[in-house]
Amino acid sequence: MSKSLNHLLQDTRIWQGHKPQQRAAPAEHTGYQALDNQLGGLGWPKGALSECLLDRCGIGELHLVLPLMQAVARQQKSMFWLNPPHTPYAPALVRAGVPAEQLVVIHTRNPADFLWTLENCLRSPVTGLVMAWPRKLASRDIRRLQLASEAGNNVCILFRCRQQAEQHSPAALRLELVPGDHQDLKIHILKRRGSWPGQRCTLALGHRAGIAPNGAPQVVAGPWPQAGAT
Amino acid sequence: MLWLYVHFPHLLLDHTRRSQPTGGALAVVDAAGQAILQVCPQASTLGIKPGMRLKTALGLAPELHILHAAPQQEASLLEDQARWLYRYAAHITLATPGGVWAEVSSLQRLYGGLPAVWQTLEQALAERRLTAWLALGHTPLAAQLLAQSGKGDCSADHGHILATLAQLPLVAAGFDAKACTRLHRLGLNTLGEVFQLPAKELARRLSPELLARVQKIQGTRPDPKSPWQPPHRFHQRADFIQEVEHTQGLLFALQRILAELEEDLCWRQQDTDTLLLVLQHRHEEATRLTLRTTGPEHRADSFLKLLRLKLDQQPLRAPVISLTLAVKRFLGREAPSGQDLLGDGQDLNEAWHTLISRLQARLGNDALQQLLPRADHRPELAWAASAVTPASTRKLPTEAAALPARPFWLLPTPRPLAQAPTTWFSGPERISAGWWDGQRVHRDYYIARLPQGELAWVFRDVRDGWFIHGWFG
Repeated sequence: MSKSLNHLLQDTRIWQGHKPQQRAAPAEHTGYQALDNQLGGLGWPKGALSECLLDRCGIGELHLVLPLMQAVARQQKSMFWLNPPHTPYAPALVRAGVPAEQLVVIHTRNPADFLWTLENCLRSPVTGLVMAWPRKLASRDIRRLQLASEAGNNVCILFRCRQQAEQHSPAALRLELVPGDHQDLKIHILKRRGSWPGQRCTLALGHRAGIAPNGAPQVVAGPWPQAGAT
Repeated sequence: MLWLYVHFPHLLLDHTRRSQPTGGALAVVDAAGQAILQVCPQASTLGIKPGMRLKTALGLAPELHILHAAPQQEASLLEDQARWLYRYAAHITLATPGGVWAEVSSLQRLYGGLPAVWQTLEQALAERRLTAWLALGHTPLAAQLLAQSGKGDCSADHGHILATLAQLPLVAAGFDAKACTRLHRLGLNTLGEVFQLPAKELARRLSPELLARVQKIQGTRPDPKSPWQPPHRFHQRADFIQEVEHTQGLLFALQRILAELEEDLCWRQQDTDTLLLVLQHRHEEATRLTLRTTGPEHRADSFLKLLRLKLDQQPLRAPVISLTLAVKRFLGREAPSGQDLLGDGQDLNEAWHTLISRLQARLGNDALQQLLPRADHRPELAWAASAVTPASTRKLPTEAAALPARPFWLLPTPRPLAQAPTTWFSGPERISAGWWDGQRVHRDYYIARLPQGELAWVFRDVRDGWFIHGWFG
């Protein structure tokens, strides 16, 4: 490195991208060290929107949020699930340490109600976490939600379709989730605050179905023809 | 004993006028629609007088709004007045159709003298925008006669009351028409002249009933009045002269009623969580709306916000001619818990109730659910949705560790497995249950990975079909 470049780097007025800005932005840890490292030690931002972009359910997206849900449960705050695509299964949640009585599931009929409900949940001081599965959101609507989120200082996670990755979004954190080959979850950070995006990491989430880390199958073959079973 | 009589000369008019602020002359006609019974001040400046024929009145003021007298409605209105009056006086009695007695000799010490009692009542009447004439009397009837003739003033002096009574014309004394005519023929014109007649002669020549009435006015015959007790419910009604077509018009009347409800609840030291709003239409069946708050509430503005949401969600089917707000369920008020006197932290419990009530008012009660595990082997029956209740009142029914490993997502109905899974991880877990209630389940569950990478909870049922029942999210 040339001498003049070294000299430049010592100048405090030069912003250096590899050091995440030490901001007092409130955040909740994700509970996964690998992901926290990639997010500059911050985690889920509070008072801002986060987006998870994924193609289909069942790739470990809820397990990604599970440590956060447990933390919210410990703080005695409420969780709201807005328009979940399937039924959240109460026995599994209770078993994972998420008390069912702190969780409220809301179904709305039209997009206007959806936005209204989400805004109200976000602005309330009782809310700890809002998880929402919107069908279609205009950029203007996300902006509106971002403002509501700032007012309430809560964590809000939107689960959206991966096709919207190209669309611009005012959300503070955008994660693209793709299933890996070994029951793991590949995370691609599309956007984050305070530093440049593009980091990737992989979380092993095989334990969500009780699968041993080596992935050895524990299937007992039945008395039926062991075909591909369709 | 000292009695105070509150006479409402046109209660029905006052009631209608305060529900709808738009002015205009108003008059009440009798049930047959022939004669005018009551007129508002505005109508009387136009020259309309009680007793006038309706046709004449309409000739004088073509824009006159007409109300039909309904004795039942007047009785319930009077009861409404008695309810708030009961807060000022302990012993009150209704005098249908248009007045209320209150026993005031016991109140003098509480309020600090008669003028204070008088002033308090006049102020309360003015706040409610009611026209009323007050009078004091040493007997109930004396007070009533003075009030009805509008000659009452704030004086407890026996002699003064009798002197005022003596000047009253016979018509104002409330004798029946026959007795009145006979007294006139005797040359008697004022009540004072009747008082001077010997009691014996009065009973013999006229009638014992007349004597009884005279003696009750004078106080020489007992005239007991049984005290009225307020019913344990809240019921308020607003009638509209012009039909209301928009929600905004209803809110004006609701605002006043809710303010009265708040006052009533504060006075009772109680809260409520259910309001019943009935909207009457002219040609259609009434609309009944039930508003439930999740927690006890008494503030008018929070009720109003919820009602506004509810009405916005449900457009009016037809123009509204009157509305009724009723509360039958009262809850004891609890002291706010976990908050010190000077704490500035928000009451989270209250905030929770506010949020849930708001959501329920707009989305409907069914839109919000809480999910609870249930003790059943069948996966679709091992959970139940219930109405939302605060976390603190719930006890976790099951031990978390005792629950089996299950996926986070459950499909509402199992979906046929379209593609062969790439990897099988564990299974089978056989679930065979439900033979006792007809919902038989006989399945082998596996955990498998589908080609797109998701982990699924699949089962093979007894008829050899493969289905996806959940996702390991």
